[in-house]
This record gives sequence, structure tokens and C-alpha cells, in this order.
Amino acid sequence: MDEEPERAKRWEGGYERTWEVLKEDESGSLKATVEDILFQAKRKRVFESHGQVRLGMMRHLFVIIDSSRSMEDHDLKPNRLTSTLKLMEYFVEEYFDQNPISQIGIITTKNKRAEKLTDLAGNPKKHIAALKKAVDSTCVGEPSLYNSLNLAMQTLKHMPAHTSKEILVVFSSLTTCDPANIYELIKTLNGLKIRVSVIGLSAEVRVCTILTRETGGSYNVILDESHFKELLILHVKPPPASSSSECSLIRMGFPQHAIASMSDQDAKPSFSMSHLDSAGEPELTLGGYYCPQCRAKYTELPVECKVCGLTLVSAPHLARSFHHLFPLEAFQETPLEEYEAERFCEACQGELKDKSVFTCLACKKVFCVECDLFIHDTLHCCPGCMQTDRMS
Amino acid sequence: FRLNIEGLLVYFPYDYIYPEQYSYMLELKRTLDAKGHGVLEMPSGTGKTISLLSLIVAYQKAYPLEVTKLVYCSRTVPEIEKVVEELRKLMDYYAKQTGVKNDFLALALSSRKNLCIHPEILHANIVVYSYHYLLDPKIADLVSKELAKKSVVVFDEAHNIDNVCIDSMSVNITRRTLDRCQTNVETLQNTISRIKETDAAKLREEYRRLVEGLKEANVARETDIYLSNPVLPDEILQEAVPGSIRTAEHFVGFIKRFLEYLKARLRIHHVVQESAPQFLKDIYEKVCIDRKPLRFCAERLRSLLRTLEIADIADFSAITLISHFATLVSTYSKGFTIIIEPFEDRTPTIANPVLHFSCMDPSIAIKPVFGRFQSVIITSGTLSPLDIYPRILDFRPVTMASFTMTLARTCLCPLIVGRGNDQVAMTSKFETREDFAVIRNYGNLLLEMSAIVPDGIVAFFTSYIYMENIVASWYEQGILENIQRNKLIFIETQDAAETSMALEKYQEACENGRGAILLSVARGKVSEGIDFVHHFGRAVIMFGVPYVYTQSRILKARLEYLRDQFQIRENDFLTFDAMRHAAQCVGRAIRGKTDYGLMIFADKRYARADKRGKLPRWIQEHLTDGSLNLTIDETVQLSKHFLRQMAQPFRREDQLGLSLLTLEQLQSEDMLQKIAQIAQQA
Repeated sequence: MDEEPERAKRWEGGYERTWEVLKEDESGSLKATVEDILFQAKRKRVFESHGQVRLGMMRHLFVIIDSSRSMEDHDLKPNRLTSTLKLMEYFVEEYFDQNPISQIGIITTKNKRAEKLTDLAGNPKKHIAALKKAVDSTCVGEPSLYNSLNLAMQTLKHMPAHTSKEILVVFSSLTTCDPANIYELIKTLNGLKIRVSVIGLSAEVRVCTILTRETGGSYNVILDESHFKELLILHVKPPPASSSSECSLIRMGFPQHAIASMSDQDAKPSFSMSHLDSAGEPELTLGGYYCPQCRAKYTELPVECKVCGLTLVSAPHLARSFHHLFPLEAFQETPLEEYEAERFCEACQGELKDKSVFTCLACKKVFCVECDLFIHDTLHCCPGCMQTDRMS
Repeated sequence: FRLNIEGLLVYFPYDYIYPEQYSYMLELKRTLDAKGHGVLEMPSGTGKTISLLSLIVAYQKAYPLEVTKLVYCSRTVPEIEKVVEELRKLMDYYAKQTGVKNDFLALALSSRKNLCIHPEILHANIVVYSYHYLLDPKIADLVSKELAKKSVVVFDEAHNIDNVCIDSMSVNITRRTLDRCQTNVETLQNTISRIKETDAAKLREEYRRLVEGLKEANVARETDIYLSNPVLPDEILQEAVPGSIRTAEHFVGFIKRFLEYLKARLRIHHVVQESAPQFLKDIYEKVCIDRKPLRFCAERLRSLLRTLEIADIADFSAITLISHFATLVSTYSKGFTIIIEPFEDRTPTIANPVLHFSCMDPSIAIKPVFGRFQSVIITSGTLSPLDIYPRILDFRPVTMASFTMTLARTCLCPLIVGRGNDQVAMTSKFETREDFAVIRNYGNLLLEMSAIVPDGIVAFFTSYIYMENIVASWYEQGILENIQRNKLIFIETQDAAETSMALEKYQEACENGRGAILLSVARGKVSEGIDFVHHFGRAVIMFGVPYVYTQSRILKARLEYLRDQFQIRENDFLTFDAMRHAAQCVGRAIRGKTDYGLMIFADKRYARADKRGKLPRWIQEHLTDGSLNLTIDETVQLSKHFLRQMAQPFRREDQLGLSLLTLEQLQSEDMLQKIAQIAQQA
């Protein structure tokens, strides 16, 4: 009769004070709402990332997902685990969209142990499939920060020095069960230049503060689901490359896509090399990408050639990560009162109502806060400048 | 930077200033101008010490004739060290700004080993030491006697000052004390007979002096050179030492008789309580000791020890104690009570007789301080309600003010939990404290909190016995096991070594992410001296209202005295005392503006106006109507929300202009207006 016995109904869940979200600040008081501070921080991040910094485009990222008992908490709907995995799927897609020549791996930790869900790989489909499967797993015991960091480190330490080595921990529990002193491990991670960032789901934990501070990562705690998503998206953008990382030329192959139709008599169906290690049924396909070095065939890009080890990418992929190299410069912020001209945002055509307006330094067009963020976070080019370019 | 406080140029050694510091200095300046006493409450972590130091030093520099010396009294050695550190910073800043080599002499007396400084203290401009150097008559006489009248005296962390006063005047005599005293007497006797053979002239000289009387001391007092000593009452100075104890042998014989009498008094089987006159009458009837020679006991003993040139005074602590007792009991007919208990209440089978000569009036010990110095400042993070201190210490302050903490974000979250999820009231009230449901609800509260609060939680109980009972009960109910899945548990005990071990491990567990709970007791060592900054205390839970153990006879006598002499009702005093300890306990978690912490009061009685109103203003103003009578579930939700909010990045820039000011910001018109609201005059 009861189809979902283990999942509590919405009304059975925790007591919530939803009206608290709509908190009004008593005017004149010294209290500044946290939201305000957050907004300021967001703006600041935009500025920070727009200095002339080298960004690490080739990233090796391990995501550690806490799957301990505390992930069953219902404060994210339907529970923390499901919500987290959903957002991770989105994250993986975004990640490969923005970092086409990077790799990702997923580790889960529960019951004082850590295990690899997926190894470092550049194929989003495989990760997403694994994430989908993980939804049904049970959350038991305590997480082990030490074990999972150690596991990630074992793989990351063999990665070449010019790549950016990162770990992102989604940490729900407030405790960690470690077999050894974690501060030693933090030192080792720091020595290996592995950057560890943490997203906390419940509250600020001291050891995470230290961990992120020592390794140069960021530490944030979510307020609610949308904030969670926002924080994850922050990790999509590649971090500044550490100055000490080596510069080197990387060999890359740009395989051509050979299209063959069924009607073509010469076309021979063949297996893709990426099926070698996949558990799924191998499929015969006609067309594909052929490695320019050894002629091995692949159906999807980007991939590392199984035969000769060459990194295979497509030109559009590389072009997509191009904007990381030449980021759009920060717009100039001026208070609304000082702004004289017509109060229209160039992008959304809406009226400028916020405290301040933003002016592009190149084309002198004016934008509102929301559009400013959108332009810098998503578009990466100024629509005003594009227009003037075309005109001239 | 340099500040202008009502015409006084103050050097402040930091680049930023909290608005409340400015306000605090303003009040302090007014107190000094009026040459009166002050009571100032300002939350810890807002830079009380540096505000005090920089203002008073500036005042000293500006008006060297008005204020000659600063006497800064603090409670513990680490606190004294902190003061010295701040002072050093201030002096360096002065040297840098004015370019003049510093001519200020500051002196800190922290431990016993650097006690011998008598001549230096006269010249120092600033003296930093512990309360006892000023309040305890035994030490004050050695160290503080010659402090100039125009000194400013500051008592920091003074929320317990009345108890310090009382302790310094009270005497407890056990059988062991008497035995040691006996040995002392024998040693004295031997020394006397030896000296008599070798250097009889010395003893004769002493005798002559005693006939002359204590004229010197009298002259000194009249000319106002010395701080008066409560153990040396005025009448004594007018008279010569009575003949019966003038010679050394007679005096030792006298002490012996007194000792025998005390021994006899300790041989009892039931509790005796009597007043000082009753005691004197009894001693006269039994062993024919008059009141007059008793009064001279302390002075006479000191003279004897000096004459005999005994170097190691510490060995004679027992006999000194007895002589002080003799003098006090014969001098003060009011304000003291004598209670002789044949055994401790907890162990009625083991005979352990104790004579408590207990002071009930803190104003006796502190009266000379208020009388002598032109300004005495009493300050602490928790002094609410302010008006009670002048009443129990019997002085008239010119300023009484309480300051709030200006915050860029609400970093403290006081919550009053009154009910369990089953709606059973939560309280440590005597009638219901053993109630199964209450104990279970307390357990559930701790369990739920252990699951959502990161790192360290400190929980306070009202007494050791209560804690033991509850923990045992939790163990049986399996609650303890569940809590241990979330955090490790450490317990404070009466053993100091054990407790410091537990503390060390507790901090380690907070540091490495395991998380821990420290179960401790209000009024214990942890509740008073240990700070739980940042992750060492993200939440403090106060189980019950920490009323003092009301069955104690000493307390009952004191309450009676307060009612009769000061018109303070028993209940008012008990509530005041309980609330100041509760405030101390929960205040452990917030040690500054970047810190944050939950303060959970787990007893429905806290919601009552008479309790709530006695909390410090900086806690009260964050206690909204919505957080007065919560269930455990509601508490958990509010706490979760709070912890998430607080975990958001918080930088110095966010504070600037709100709770942290630069010089320009400070000087703006509306900021000065805001500052005026920070101080609330009581």
C-alpha cells in the first residue's frame, strides 16, 4: 500500500520557518543581512577573476561525495543525497562544456571508507550514468575525509605538472573518521599542489577550513538548494594556474569526422576503441573520428587515444575554452545617482533600478547588475562591443 | 591613531576602533573627571582592556597631578599577561608617535616568585596584578599599603568580586590547621628560648615598642600614607598592646590557650552556629580570654615574627591564620558568622569538623579600597543587573553603564528551550529534576544538537551531582551511545589534572574534525577561566538554572544578612547569582566579533522576565520573543539556519563602517550619534 515507506512525506519532514527567508531588516539598525554580504561577495568574485591571470585549462578534478548517514537529512528535497546527485549531473555537463580538455573522477565515502565511483575520464556520459545509478545506494556510517582525499591523491599525484590538480569535496557530515593525522595529509597535498575545495551542506567545520586554506581552495557552506547550485557552478570555471606550474607544449590531435552513409559501398562498419573498457554492448558504427597518428576510431570526443596516448579534441572544443585565456574585462561600477543619461540597460532593455550601474570600458554601453553578471559569467563577451564591431 | 575624547588626546595603537570602545572611553573619562567610582559592562572580545589602558594612560599624561597611578587588577595569570601584552603595544605606539623615550614604568606582579618589589611599586606609573594583592588583607598589607591616594583602580572581570571579597575575609579552620598551628607554636617557643639566651636585648626592645603602642601606624594612617587594613581596626592604633600578651612567652602561652579552646570547640557532634559576640562570651567563660588581647593577636604575632627574624613566613601560615581569625572575630560584631560543622553534608559518617568563620558582607574587605582611591572602576563582560553591585559592595558610583556589541552580522544566537517535542516542560527545578521525561528531553536536546553543530559543544550542568545523575541515566537509556556516534564526550571532574587532560583531548577532537562535547559544571573551572573561541565552542548549552546550593548554612546566613542589612530579598540575590553564572557560561562561546556561537538556555524558567531581565544587555537584545519557549525541533531548525548563515564568508570589509571604524568614519556626525546609543545608563 505504501509505496515509499522509507521516504517521509513533505509534511512529515522537519519544522520549517519559511517566512524567515523573507526577513525584513529593521531600517536604521546596524544589522546587515547576510544576503547583502553575499551579493557583495559575488560581485567581488567577478572582479577577482578578471585580473590578467593564467587559468589552468587542463584540469584533473576529483569530486568526493559524502554518502554518510547525514546525507539522508531532508533539508534538501527529497533528501540531501538525491539532490546532490542531481546537481552533480548538471555540474558534470557544465564542467565538460566549459573545460572540454579536462577530466573528472568521482569518489564516494561512507562507512569510514572511500571508493571510486568513476575513474578520471573525459567522457561525461559515463559519469552521469554512474551518478544516476548511485541514487539508490544507501547512506550509512560516517565519512572519512582522510581516506577519500588519500584515494584521490594516489591518482592525482601521477598527473603531469602542467595540469591543474583539484579535489572538490561535497561534505554533508560534521565529523570525519580518520585512520591517521589528517594534518600530515594536508601537508602532503599542499606539497603536491593539489587544490582542495569544500562545499559544506550543513555548517562550517574546522578541519575543512584548514584544509581549504592550506591547499588554496575555497570553502563555502550552502544556504539552500539554489545557493548550492550557485556554489557548484563556481567550480566550473577553471581556477588560476599556480605560477609554479610548468609550461609545456602539449601534443593534440584534431581528428576529422568521417561521415559515411549506408549507401556508400566502401563503408565498413567497425568498433570504436572506447568500447574496449566499457561494460556496455559494443556497437558497430559506420562513421567516427580517426586518430591522425594511429588511425584508431572513436565515436566521441574529447578522448585520450587508447593506442598512442594522444589527446584528441575537436577545434570547437578548444575554442570554447578560449575565453578563459582572454576574459572580458570588468565593467566600471558607478552609483545610480551619478549616472546621468537614459536609465536603460543595454542588454535587457529594462529600467536601471539597482544601486549602481555598470559601464563597459570599451563601448561605453551601460548594463544592470543582473546583466553584468550574466555577461561575465555566461556570455564572456560584451554585446555592446559586438554591435559596434558589426557596424564598423 | 589619535583620538579626541572630550578634549583629551588619546593615543590608540590600532588602525581601527570599535564604536563601543569609543563609547566606553567616553564614560571612563567622565568617571575620572568626576573623581568617582564606576561600574561598566562591556561584552568580552570588544577590546575592553586596550580601551581602559589607552584612556587612563592618556589621562595620566595630560593631568599628571590628578591621576598619578593606575592599578589594574585582574583575576588570573593569563589575563594579567594579556594586559601586559596590550600595554606593551600601547607603549610602543607612544614611543613611535611622540618620538620620546617612554618614561612610564609599568609593573606586573603575576606570580609568587616576583613578589618582592616593595620599593619599586611606589614609583611605577602602572601596576598590574591580581585582585588578592589589593583585597586580601594578608597580602595587601605587604604589597599595596603605600599606593598613592590619587590612583585609579580597575577591577577587570569583576563579576565575582563580592565572592573574592568574602573569601579573602573568611577563615576556615580544620583539625589539620590546628595541628599545624600546634607545631608552629612549638617552633616559636623554641626560638624564643634560644634568642633569650643569646640576644635578650632584642626581646626587651620589642617589649618597649609594644608599650609605646602602635603609634607609628596611627600617625601613618592619620597622615594618609597607607591603605587601611581591615584586619587592623582603628581602635587598636590608639591603644598600647595589652600587658597580658606583651612579652613573647606570655603571647605564646596565650595562643596556646586559644588553640586548646578551638580544639575543644571542634569536638562536637552537631552543627553549631553563632555570632561573633556569642563566641566571645563563650571563650571568656570557658578559658578566660578577654576580647581586647584577641584583637591585638594579628599585630602581635607579626611583631613577634619580625623580632625573631623568621625568614620563611610560609611555614607559619597556620598560626597567622589563627591570629587573623582571633583579630577579626573580636573586632567585627556584625557581618560575620561562625558555623561549626562536625562533618560534611555529603559524608555524614566521616568526622571532619570544620569551623567556618565566614564573612557575609563583601563591603568590609573592599571598603578601604573605595575609601582611599579617588576612582575605582569595576568592569566585566557580565555585570547585569548593574545596580546590584553598588548595593552589595556598599558604594556610590558616579557612572553605571552597559554597552552593547555593534555587529555587522548577528553572530550570537540565544535560544530558550522550554519544552521537549512531547511538550513536557524542561526544567531543572528541584521537584522535577529527577523526572524521567525531563532527563530524556535533555538527552534528546543534546543528541539533536550534536548532529547539527560542527566541532565543539560545551554543555553546562548546575552541579556535579546533577551531572552524574543525568549522565548515568542517559547511559541507561542509550542516549549516550547515540550521541557518541556524532561526537566524542568529555567530562569535567573535580580533579584538576583530569579536567585539563579532558580539555586537551577535547580541543584535539575539535581540531581534527572528529567533533566533541564537553560536559562541565557552572561555577566550575571550565565555566570561569577557559575560553572556547571559534570552533572550540560553536554552541553552549546550559542545562537548568545554576542556582547555588541553597542548603548550605553559610549561604543561608549570608542571605539572611543581605535581607536584614541591605534589603535584598533572598530570591533576588539567588536569581542574580544564578544568572550571572549562566551568563558567564554562555559567554564562553563568543570571544570577539568574528566568532559566532549558539547560546542555548535549556530551562523554561529562563523565559520569565525576572530571569531574562538579568542577562547582560548584549545577550538580551538578541533574544527575540520568537525564541523564548521553543521545542527541541524548533531549536534545531533555528540553529541550522543560524549556522549556515554564519558559515558564509565574512571579511573585515564587511565590518568596516558598521562595527569597525576608521578615524574618519568615527568622526562623522551620524556615527557619533549612533555611538551615543551604545551606552545605556543604569
